[in-house]
Amino acid sequence: MRLSDASLAIRPRPPWEACDLGVLLARRHAGVLMASWAALTLPLYGLLTLVLWDQPSLAFLLFWWLKPLYERLPLFILSRALFGEVPGVRQSLRALPGELKAQLLPSLLWRRFSPVRSFALPVQQLEKLSGQARRERLALLLQRDGAPASWLTIVGMHLEMALWLGLLGLLYLMLPAQVELAWSWQDLLGLTSDWLWIEHLSNLLYVLVLIVWEPVYVACGFSLYLNRRTQLEAWDIELSFRRLRDRLAAALPILLASLCLLLPGPGGTGLLQAAESEPPFATESAAAPAFSRAQARERIGELLQQPPFQNRETVTRWRLESAAEDEHDGSGLLERLGRLHRLWQSLDGVALALEVLLWTGLLLSVGWLLWRYRAWLQAFGLRRRAQAPAAGRPPAQLFGLELAPESLPADPAAEAARLWDSDPRAALGLLYRGMLSELLRQRRVVLRASDTEGEVLRRLEQLREPDLQAFAGRLTTLWQNLAYGHRAPPTALREPLCSEWTRLFGRGVQA
Amino acid sequence: MPRSPLALLDNCHRVETPEGIDLVLKPAGLVPRALAFAIDLVLRAAILLVLGSLLAMLGQFGAGFGAILLFVVQWWYMVLFEVLNQGRTPGKQWLGLRVVHDDGTPVGWGASLVRNLLRFVDLLPFGYLFGALSCLAHPSFKRLGDIAAGTLVVHRERPAAPPALPEVAPEAAPVRLTLDEQRALIAFSERHAGLSAARREELAGILAAPLGTPPALAERRLHAIARGLLGQA
Repeated sequence: MRLSDASLAIRPRPPWEACDLGVLLARRHAGVLMASWAALTLPLYGLLTLVLWDQPSLAFLLFWWLKPLYERLPLFILSRALFGEVPGVRQSLRALPGELKAQLLPSLLWRRFSPVRSFALPVQQLEKLSGQARRERLALLLQRDGAPASWLTIVGMHLEMALWLGLLGLLYLMLPAQVELAWSWQDLLGLTSDWLWIEHLSNLLYVLVLIVWEPVYVACGFSLYLNRRTQLEAWDIELSFRRLRDRLAAALPILLASLCLLLPGPGGTGLLQAAESEPPFATESAAAPAFSRAQARERIGELLQQPPFQNRETVTRWRLESAAEDEHDGSGLLERLGRLHRLWQSLDGVALALEVLLWTGLLLSVGWLLWRYRAWLQAFGLRRRAQAPAAGRPPAQLFGLELAPESLPADPAAEAARLWDSDPRAALGLLYRGMLSELLRQRRVVLRASDTEGEVLRRLEQLREPDLQAFAGRLTTLWQNLAYGHRAPPTALREPLCSEWTRLFGRGVQA
Repeated sequence: MPRSPLALLDNCHRVETPEGIDLVLKPAGLVPRALAFAIDLVLRAAILLVLGSLLAMLGQFGAGFGAILLFVVQWWYMVLFEVLNQGRTPGKQWLGLRVVHDDGTPVGWGASLVRNLLRFVDLLPFGYLFGALSCLAHPSFKRLGDIAAGTLVVHRERPAAPPALPEVAPEAAPVRLTLDEQRALIAFSERHAGLSAARREELAGILAAPLGTPPALAERRLHAIARGLLGQA
């Protein structure tokens, strides 16, 4: 074992920190630890399940009981990985039989329930101690920091349980509703013998949980063990001392050579004299103090009493004498009880008051929230409402055409058909005005008094009614030709236009 | 097999301040945190049980107040303790833990609220499955709430009285020593009571030759140098 090869920062730590370091250790080698654990336990679990198919609980119990057997594998890997040579999965599995030989029976029988299982494992597996020697060693190691090792096991038990239930819960959440239904029916009918595999599945989940947790558990125990030995044997100091010795050994020839060159005097060539010519900074503080500890303390005390540190002053002034306390003796006890009872009853009043206060607070805070976010609400919440008032005030005129419903005949299409031959301008105008008026009234298109004919058509696109769009386009073109170009509409269009108008907008404005 | 070039494994979370000072935080792992949580859980249950049974005698007022109490204990216990008690709930205090921001500053309202509200994500799907897995897998042992809030649960440094050094006359170090070497020398002197005599001799023996001291006297010499380094007359 060469400490300088260790892949851990070696120093004595508080026990919980040592435990955390174990988690980090397991995390760094998680791949090989979990893979080898899975390669060992999954086939074993499969075998147990096959043999004990009818007794899932027994299979589970056996698998659980054999845990100390598997725990030797992670410890083997970790003890190698600590000094930088991480074994592969195959290599570790091949080494396992050798690791299992030592004290397998005690591990599986009376030491199975030791609360410091993972902490004690390195003593028997790595130090290969047994019997009295092991007992003494453990007693020494457990003198301090034994509690965290036990707590580690206890927390581990609960964590296994929590993770297992968590996985079961996850699985249950993933079940489709139908399966759940069938399951409960099967239970009701007592056909559960077919559902053994559910129990085996839940056992399997436990095996999966162990793949994650057990390497961490072993690593934490190992790390606690290492930490205790670091404390007992001062590994960190040994490391530093060795480094210092190596440094000095490397520097010594140079020092000697420079000495011979610079100081050819009769002085000895020992390292001590060489170094005394340049005193290290740390020794100055040792040489400097002119007074002893007690004196220094005294002077510090004096300094602390002076103004910048303390300002004590005595203030004397007049004040009123407090009123004499009225004193009740034992006779007041009954009265007090009565008062307590009354207080008891008055509490309902307090409850009411509190309720009122709470409701007021709730309302106030809701009001405040509304007021605080009024801009946001206006921007997003009230968009629909914002459109309504605009549509409520339609322009009465568009490009000089009267649009108010009162200005139109009851049935514009019929009226237009009647006027078509005698006065095509009036007839087409009637149709067009009728269309605009109906757009405003029925379809609630938002038109402004400043819109042109083309803009009206573009606004119609938002309605997504292709029929209306086409009709409006045709009518607008005809109307523009007639109004601005004085070109009369073809007579053949009378019937289709009027019937289309009626189909789209219904019969009559007031109808 | 060639040595992996990985850095030495250590349980440190280093934060560099703008002044270039390294603050070393020690993140706390799953086991102490789980214990702290268990203590808090028991404490909360006790509070609810005691106050709840007291309030049950107060009729309607008690019921209403009990509901408020339940809310406060359930949602604000952790937050209030963390923010007002230097990041320590009673359970964390017991275990010597505290919550800080990622940069080591004391935890504030926002971060504490986030990490404790997201506790309910860590709880999913049952029994802290996600939280435990995240805590095991994260290099600084963060659960999901900690990742979201940018907080860290660290071990508190407990001030310890400096142990007494052996009574020897102080002596100047014969060579210039680096900070680490000075620390090792002082640690040797401070921890000598916990080491066996044989081990002390073995350790001191390492430095006997470079110091030019006979191995039997090396230990005494090291103590003297340590006293000199500490400036203890």
